[in-house]
Amino acid sequence: MEHSNASSGNTDAGLSDEEKREIDREFSHYEGRASVGLEALRIVQKHRGWVSDKSLQAVADYLEIAPAQLESVATYFQLIFRQPVGREVMLLCKSASCWITGCSRLQVHIRKRLQIAPGQTSKDGIFTLLETPCLGDCDKGPVMQVGEEMHRHLTEEAIDKLIEQKIHKHKKNDADRSTD
Amino acid sequence: MPTITIDGEDYPVDGEQNLLANCLSQGIDLPYFCWHPAMGSVGACRQCAVIEYKDAEDPHGKLVMACMTPVKDGGLYSVQAQAAREFRGGIIEDLMTNHPHDCPVCEEGGECHLQDMTEMTGHVQRRYRGSKRTHRNQYLGPFINHEMNRCIACYRCTRFYRDYAGGEDLESLGRNNQVYFGRQNDGMLENGFSGNLVEVCPTGVFTDKTFSEHYVRKWDLQTAPSICEHCAVGCNTAPGAREPGNGSGAILRRITNLYNRDINGYFLCDRGRFGYDYVNADSRLKKPLAASSESLIGSTAAPGEKVHREIPPEQAVARLSEQLREARNGKRRLFAIGSPRTSLENNFALRQLVGDDHFYSGLGERDLELLHLIDRVQCDPRIHSPSTPEIESADAVLILGEDIDNTAPRISLAVRQAARNRQKRQARQLKIPLWQDDSVRQLGGSPSPILLVGTGTPAMEEIASEILHCTIGQTAAFGAAVRDCLCGREPAAGLLPESQLELARRAAEMLSSAERPLIISGCGSRNGEMIRASAAIACALAEYGESGSDQCDLYLACPEMNSLGIAQLSAPDSGRLEELAAKLRDTREGIPTTLVILENDLYRRGDRRTIDTMLSAADQVVLLDTLLNATARHADLIFPAAATAESEGSTVNSNGVAQRFYAVYEGTGFIQESWRWLADAAADDDKTHLAACEHVFELTAALAKEFPALAVLEETGPDENYRIDGLKVARQSHRYSGRTAIRAGEHVAELPPHPDPDAPMVFSMEGIQNPGKTPLQANIWSPGWNSNQSINKFLRGIGGARKGTDGGQRIEREPQSLDEWQPGGGEATSASGNFTTIPLYRMFGSDELSARAKAIASVVDEPYAVLSANDAEERHIRTGDLLRIRVNSESYPVEARVSATLPRGTLGVPAGLPGLESLDCHLPGRVVVEQTDTGDTP
Repeated sequence: MEHSNASSGNTDAGLSDEEKREIDREFSHYEGRASVGLEALRIVQKHRGWVSDKSLQAVADYLEIAPAQLESVATYFQLIFRQPVGREVMLLCKSASCWITGCSRLQVHIRKRLQIAPGQTSKDGIFTLLETPCLGDCDKGPVMQVGEEMHRHLTEEAIDKLIEQKIHKHKKNDADRSTD
Repeated sequence: MPTITIDGEDYPVDGEQNLLANCLSQGIDLPYFCWHPAMGSVGACRQCAVIEYKDAEDPHGKLVMACMTPVKDGGLYSVQAQAAREFRGGIIEDLMTNHPHDCPVCEEGGECHLQDMTEMTGHVQRRYRGSKRTHRNQYLGPFINHEMNRCIACYRCTRFYRDYAGGEDLESLGRNNQVYFGRQNDGMLENGFSGNLVEVCPTGVFTDKTFSEHYVRKWDLQTAPSICEHCAVGCNTAPGAREPGNGSGAILRRITNLYNRDINGYFLCDRGRFGYDYVNADSRLKKPLAASSESLIGSTAAPGEKVHREIPPEQAVARLSEQLREARNGKRRLFAIGSPRTSLENNFALRQLVGDDHFYSGLGERDLELLHLIDRVQCDPRIHSPSTPEIESADAVLILGEDIDNTAPRISLAVRQAARNRQKRQARQLKIPLWQDDSVRQLGGSPSPILLVGTGTPAMEEIASEILHCTIGQTAAFGAAVRDCLCGREPAAGLLPESQLELARRAAEMLSSAERPLIISGCGSRNGEMIRASAAIACALAEYGESGSDQCDLYLACPEMNSLGIAQLSAPDSGRLEELAAKLRDTREGIPTTLVILENDLYRRGDRRTIDTMLSAADQVVLLDTLLNATARHADLIFPAAATAESEGSTVNSNGVAQRFYAVYEGTGFIQESWRWLADAAADDDKTHLAACEHVFELTAALAKEFPALAVLEETGPDENYRIDGLKVARQSHRYSGRTAIRAGEHVAELPPHPDPDAPMVFSMEGIQNPGKTPLQANIWSPGWNSNQSINKFLRGIGGARKGTDGGQRIEREPQSLDEWQPGGGEATSASGNFTTIPLYRMFGSDELSARAKAIASVVDEPYAVLSANDAEERHIRTGDLLRIRVNSESYPVEARVSATLPRGTLGVPAGLPGLESLDCHLPGRVVVEQTDTGDTP
């Protein structure tokens, strides 16, 4: 999960030198250029937050494959984002154990708290809520993955705290950046 | 041959095929979706579940997917077991939860495999009441409609488009319940075989957009076996026609594939599928026309072009009759020009009418020479013209200067399958059955060697293992080097650079070590040396190769439907247009001349000036044709000729296979077959009996008698006395609707159907409907199997020949070995210029008739020409700049395109492209290229 440290912007440009370098490194692990598709998309998403049509085209050009072929990969994997997402993507598990332990209630809570339904991004651009199938922590449900962190045994209070923390963190970051 | 037991019955089965294929070829109804006879199994849809028992003691057995199950001798299976039927019913019910209830407005309805399979499993009541998933559809170009809501996710479309045909712009997107088959963006499907999606898709996701323009149900179409007229491969088609409700004549509504194992199998190219619409074009000639003597105010006719008015057919026939009488009395000279794009019978009738000495093939010297050369090469006993399955089994291919992707598209699809033979051999070694499509493809590995020499197209280059871009002359020289290497001689030094010599050595090695090598060339480069080189290589392989066969496969692509047929009608040194032009110029006798032209636009055969001169030398130009074209604008008398789908006749394809096509419907207005117009005008006392000719088979019989090579024509189809149970073959299905009502505005009584004087077929429902009983039945249908997948019911085993027919007949030419080929110099050209042209071919645009079909016309390129990157840079020409091609006194404006692979000094010119047709006779040749848009060029 490398999408959380993304900065916005640059979504329409060709591949940067750094992106190319990282993709080049992957070539040694795979048989053909086409096989690097998924890794290349992850790399681009890490730098740009999401994969725009133009980014996808740039990757396809660089890998010398048809854009439709790459699109097929991009749309298969749920964690490749083909639409803009917030800086924090919240993946709320909705599998059986989490459902029993109350994930639906938590989803309603998040919806009320941030005014977002699954698939939507909050107005401040910080949070995107997504539903996800099993995250593999069934004995600690309900669980939610935010960025690369896993949050277990969730309650409404824990979620409020988490949201506050994240808002605080991003506001602080923004303030720091503007004073630089 | 293994024997298996299905539901208590023993069946001898094909051990190379899976259980599903064997069930189907035994006539057992087992529903399926993702399996396709040409594409094998992937086990995606789970629809063909059956029970497999361990032995006779096994009480329950286990559920297996028939398409993924190899048959073993003594195997026990049940299709009818309750558990299997319930499982199959559950699968269909699940698929149907998302499938819309739109059959009444869906164009697949009535020939839908999904409908058939749903009926077959007995799922007749929908229990699901939830909402269905919906998709946004894409614009896929002028040929194909997209309706994704109907998709059942069987993956057949991408398996055909991507895996079988090599397309790159259709993919499966998304996943789970949201999987979507489409392009990355809206846009035309780029692959030239996209039309097959219409037949490959088991339901209505991909439907024929040209058919939508004049849609009727399958059961309302009348049909007959026909042959595609848009190239020389000779694919079999089943055109469908029906009259509209407004009382006007029948219109041709669509083309579907008609299975012929040896030629097209299950697939057609897009030119063949969508090119039919020219017969419905606004410019279709439907009534006899005569040039008007008065000039019209406001006429748009250019100088030399004539203004025409309609005349009654009797008057038109009388005019031609009168001229024929004058000719017989020595008061008029009479010449006739035939055509390679119409039947042998039409050509023969014209030849009978004017006499052998006055009949010309309708081709210029160069084209006719090439055809006679191909004819001559195919007479060599060392050479075998391969059928499509034989091409698919080649394990090394050399393509010399022929862009088969555009000149013989169905053949290039076969070569694409040949590229997988190394992979298939590996699969055999690993004991993976070949129908295990995904497993075989997963093997990866290097493709079979395919060497492409000449100017390639991107699609062919993708499957080629090696490519040599060179000029036409170099291609022939390369061929000579390969031949020398095969014969164990050192190739002549100095003609080729060392790198090419090295490649020639490798090519010789690759071909001689192959089990089934294949050489492909043809008329595309319009160069005889290339054909001679390919023949010499094939002969050398037959003699020195390690395949153990004394024959070698050589496919030579001809340009037009009946090219090789027309070559049979004239001696190698006669019938050239140039000879006719000289005779027309010679007006010593001082008597008027009539020139009868049969279905041929001469402006595609020679440059404008030559043809203008020719036509003006004749004071009466009589034309029989289907469309208003440049020649028609100069004709004095025009007869509306029947198109292929409106007539019966014979043709000879590139392989020398004679085939017969039958009239699907009668042409509207005064349209009739060209030979009928000629017979009408011929005198009764004519010793050729043309005037007395009433049936096309009389001409066929006379042809067969006069030309020994064409004697097989009599065996290409049943004769007029053919009956089954005393009945002829019905062109209309037994469900044909509204035949009483459709003409009720004119007649309350239902009129009897028109008699068919030519074929043992009727224009009605009364007759033989069963495609299993007669090859003349083109409506492929079987009870419970309304889609064309019912074809499996009528084959001798899956992928076998159709029951009751052996397909076409090879014409029987005198075997005659070729002399040892000595490469000659390049062809001398008289015209000077700064560029040597190379003909380029286009799927859409190079063929005359299909380019006039509405949907195809919308995607034909504007005139362009391609320069090499070097030349473009030197001259500061960029893509999109306007150029002028000058040759003799003619000038053609074109848009520049730049290619990285074209050899320096050459100019690629699209052959036959509307606007550039008259340039064809200069391809290849020298031309002058000028920049018209000088702009800021230094």
